[in-house]
Amino acid sequence: MQKTLLAILSQIESVVIGKPHECRLALACLLAQGHLLIEDLPGMGKTTLAQALAKNLSLSYQRTQFTSDLLPSDVIGISIFNSETKQFELHKGPIFNQVVLADEINRASPKTQSALLEAMAENQVSIDGITHILPRPFFVIATQNPLFHAGTYPLPESQLDRFMMKISLGFPDIDAEKSILLSNNVQATESTLINDIICVDTLISMQNTIENVHASTSIIEYIIALCRISRGQEMTEKTDKIVCKPLSPRAGKALLAAARAWAFIDNRDYLLPDDIKAVFYNVCEHRLDLNITEQQHVSGSISERILDAVNVLNPLNA
Amino acid sequence: MITNPTKPLSQPVDLFYLTSKNAWLLWCCQLLNLSTLLLEISTWMIAVIALCLCWQALLLHNRLNTNKKHSKVNISVKQQMAISSMLLMFIAVSGCIAIAISARSLGVLVSMLHLLTFAYTLKAFEIKKRKDFYQLFLLGLFLLASALIFKQTLAFSLLIVFFLIINLTILHRVFSPTKTLLLASKTVCILLLQSALLAVTLFIVFPRLSPFWQVPSVNSAKIGLSDEVSPGDIASLALSSDLAFRVDFKREQIPDYSTLYWRAMTLENFDGKKWTRAKDDINKTLSQVTSPNVIFEPETSGLSILYDVTVEPSYQPWLFGLAVATSNDARVALMSDYTIQSRNVLSQITHYQVKSYLHSSLDLTINEVDKQRNLSIVKGSNPRLEKLAAKLIKQYVDPIDRAQAVLETFRESHYFYTLQPPKLLNNSLDQFYFDTKSGFCVHYASSFTYLMRAAGIPARVVTGYLGGEYNNVNAAALSQQNGQQGGHLSIYQYDAHAWSEIWLHGIGWKKIDPTAAVDPQRVESGWSNTLVTQQLSMNNGFIGLYQFKRISWINELRLQLDALDYQWTRWVLGFSSKQQYDLLKRLFGKQMPWKIAGIVAIALISSMALVTLFYRFNMKIFKRKNVTPWFSLYQKALKILATKGLHKPVNMTAFDFSMLVTARLPQISKEFLDFTLTFEQLNYRKLSDLERELHLSRLKKQYKGITANLS
Repeated sequence: MQKTLLAILSQIESVVIGKPHECRLALACLLAQGHLLIEDLPGMGKTTLAQALAKNLSLSYQRTQFTSDLLPSDVIGISIFNSETKQFELHKGPIFNQVVLADEINRASPKTQSALLEAMAENQVSIDGITHILPRPFFVIATQNPLFHAGTYPLPESQLDRFMMKISLGFPDIDAEKSILLSNNVQATESTLINDIICVDTLISMQNTIENVHASTSIIEYIIALCRISRGQEMTEKTDKIVCKPLSPRAGKALLAAARAWAFIDNRDYLLPDDIKAVFYNVCEHRLDLNITEQQHVSGSISERILDAVNVLNPLNA
Repeated sequence: MITNPTKPLSQPVDLFYLTSKNAWLLWCCQLLNLSTLLLEISTWMIAVIALCLCWQALLLHNRLNTNKKHSKVNISVKQQMAISSMLLMFIAVSGCIAIAISARSLGVLVSMLHLLTFAYTLKAFEIKKRKDFYQLFLLGLFLLASALIFKQTLAFSLLIVFFLIINLTILHRVFSPTKTLLLASKTVCILLLQSALLAVTLFIVFPRLSPFWQVPSVNSAKIGLSDEVSPGDIASLALSSDLAFRVDFKREQIPDYSTLYWRAMTLENFDGKKWTRAKDDINKTLSQVTSPNVIFEPETSGLSILYDVTVEPSYQPWLFGLAVATSNDARVALMSDYTIQSRNVLSQITHYQVKSYLHSSLDLTINEVDKQRNLSIVKGSNPRLEKLAAKLIKQYVDPIDRAQAVLETFRESHYFYTLQPPKLLNNSLDQFYFDTKSGFCVHYASSFTYLMRAAGIPARVVTGYLGGEYNNVNAAALSQQNGQQGGHLSIYQYDAHAWSEIWLHGIGWKKIDPTAAVDPQRVESGWSNTLVTQQLSMNNGFIGLYQFKRISWINELRLQLDALDYQWTRWVLGFSSKQQYDLLKRLFGKQMPWKIAGIVAIALISSMALVTLFYRFNMKIFKRKNVTPWFSLYQKALKILATKGLHKPVNMTAFDFSMLVTARLPQISKEFLDFTLTFEQLNYRKLSDLERELHLSRLKKQYKGITANLS
């Protein structure tokens, strides 16, 4: 199982060149059954990453380009009267795929956004009073442009919270960029991807195994300590109060799940504080940040300040 | 596929499983525990116990075999170990009945002991639950403790401690089967040493509540001298090398060996066969014992010496001292015949102080009753001696000359000192004096006394001990410091002796030892060489010590051991409430009760204050106790690294820190990485008890590796 996972990872990394950490995070997010938000400038490889993930895992995949005039029914689906059979037939929208790529989600109107996000939260959609269960695994990858771009509707916090992780790819380094420029075309790369490494059942069993990755009391306490610091509940003398939005228990759960997946990719059946640290920024930064637009690549983010304030070995009795 | 390393154990919780190795160890341990009481329990019980143990061994053996055959099939413990409960019940009930029947002859204590050993043996058949194992273990400890009722020598106590360690080690091993025996016993020893401090403190300060804790008197078989002596009695004592008592002269000059006549009792009645104590003497004893007000006050004068006597339990009231012995001890009664007696039978080691006036005379005047008693002989029982006495009366006027004449006869006329004298018909003194001419102290003392009485001189037989072995091992250090003499005398049963006292005008009772006339060496330095050779040729196990006495280093060792045993007897076994009081007094000075009360009060208040403080400060100290051993070990390692200038920031994970260490202290990079990884496993991974223990021992090793590489 581990081998397959590494094979998938190397496949993805071969497509999204020079971003191994982000690739790994994306995979962890998928394995932890969370949804992924990729925020970056256009042309940084967001779509490529999403495609690579979907195709490698042999999941059904559809991409939807969100625009300002996109309607909820365009995403979810619609019942249309068939004049021949004299019946309403359901035309399923792109959301009925296992992997849904919602490109530039912040271009759509809030109404459409919320339709998608509701489906993400509940794993089911209701059309004309009939509830349809969405397929499993169900994984939404949304991309968004930075909010200072024109014509965007920022996602409200409540909806941001539904994404387990937010990652941004950033500019590649020199070597990576070289190989990006030298590779022929996207099509050729994509074609190599279409060899199914695992089946859906394996993926689901992986997800189940991840839920059993052991988290010791010390780890749980670590997560609690991180959350409490963000809420200003536990302040040591050394650290000033960190101004941020408080982390909800749901955020804590997401953090734990993501860290478990991270540990699993690392071939471990137990959690280390290192796992929490590795995923903390991507899981929590978008939940903490007061002004999403401003702090993008700045070091010394809120996440880091929170991590610095907590004693790793003895989290609650610091 | 990641496997979940720990599944809950499939065994039912209440079933207790001993591995075969542990079961065998337990069996051996039982054997050892039972062996401590081997001498005390009767033969039939030993046979029953041996049978049961053999049976258990057989069951264990079978179980081992079945385990080998069906190594994968899980046979329930019940099938393997237990015998049918009905059968066990039957054995138990019949055994108890047998003990009850024999209880009358055994006495309360010993029959209870039978019950204990029997229960201990049978309990091993039904170890099904954890509770059963605990019961067996505690029974074993109880057994060891009860073995100490009978014997409390240093060597035996050490043996018991050794067995205790074995018991605890097995307890430890049963619950942590991965530990080696050596490691387990090491842990046990450390724990025992830690608890020893508490034990010593309690030993010193805990009140000695003797009436509550007194064990019923063990065996009423009296040891040592008896209150009646017939020729041939003391020989059996001479074959015993048991300790009788010890005397510590402290700083006094030790008198010459030949003056060390330890008086125990005077025997004034003679019925022609044996010497017994005077009737009214016995009555006097009883009255004095019951009412301490009636105390005989001997007239004393002249030089005195002070010494401590420590008597081994003899189950008789005799105490020993040099004439004229006096004592301030309330337990010591001074008798009218200048002997001293205990108010109670000596059932435990007793310690008393004696002041002896060596040159003081005994009874300058004598009343008529006493005089007549000490002159009485059974007329016609020994006609030849009476005739000789008549001749002596004619020949010498001065009583002392008469005595001298008899002694001269002993000295000159080929009398022979031996422990195997020819048998006398009706204990006839005539036969001894005129025909066989060989005997030991009692023969000489009784015939001399008889002769004196017949010759009109009041005379009596005195029994006691003569001499003693001088041991200056304890004193050697002392004498180097302050140039004083010291050391102690050990008096053994083979030093038992009988001699005579005659009453002379103006002198009082005078000690005369006819044995000295026959075998001067016996009196001057102990057993003569000829006697020892004679005894050795009889090969009756007597005086194994005597053989060793000739080899100097063994003798040296023996003296060392004797000195050690004396200290043990003196300070541990003889630590009575009086000595406890004295010690506390010395520690706390005059206002002892107040000081002790003050100390206790201060201790109570301060401990309460500390507890309150702990609560106030969020019980930080108590919390620290919950720290896991691996965590504290990791912290220790961090402290060591901090001394090397490498501090771990609190927000850094263990692994990241190990990377930092690798960069900064390359000499321990590998060790510290391994250490960190093991620590992570212990701290974060879900481990079974066994794995945890393995990891922990590995962590300790790695820790040692780090410290070794750093230094």
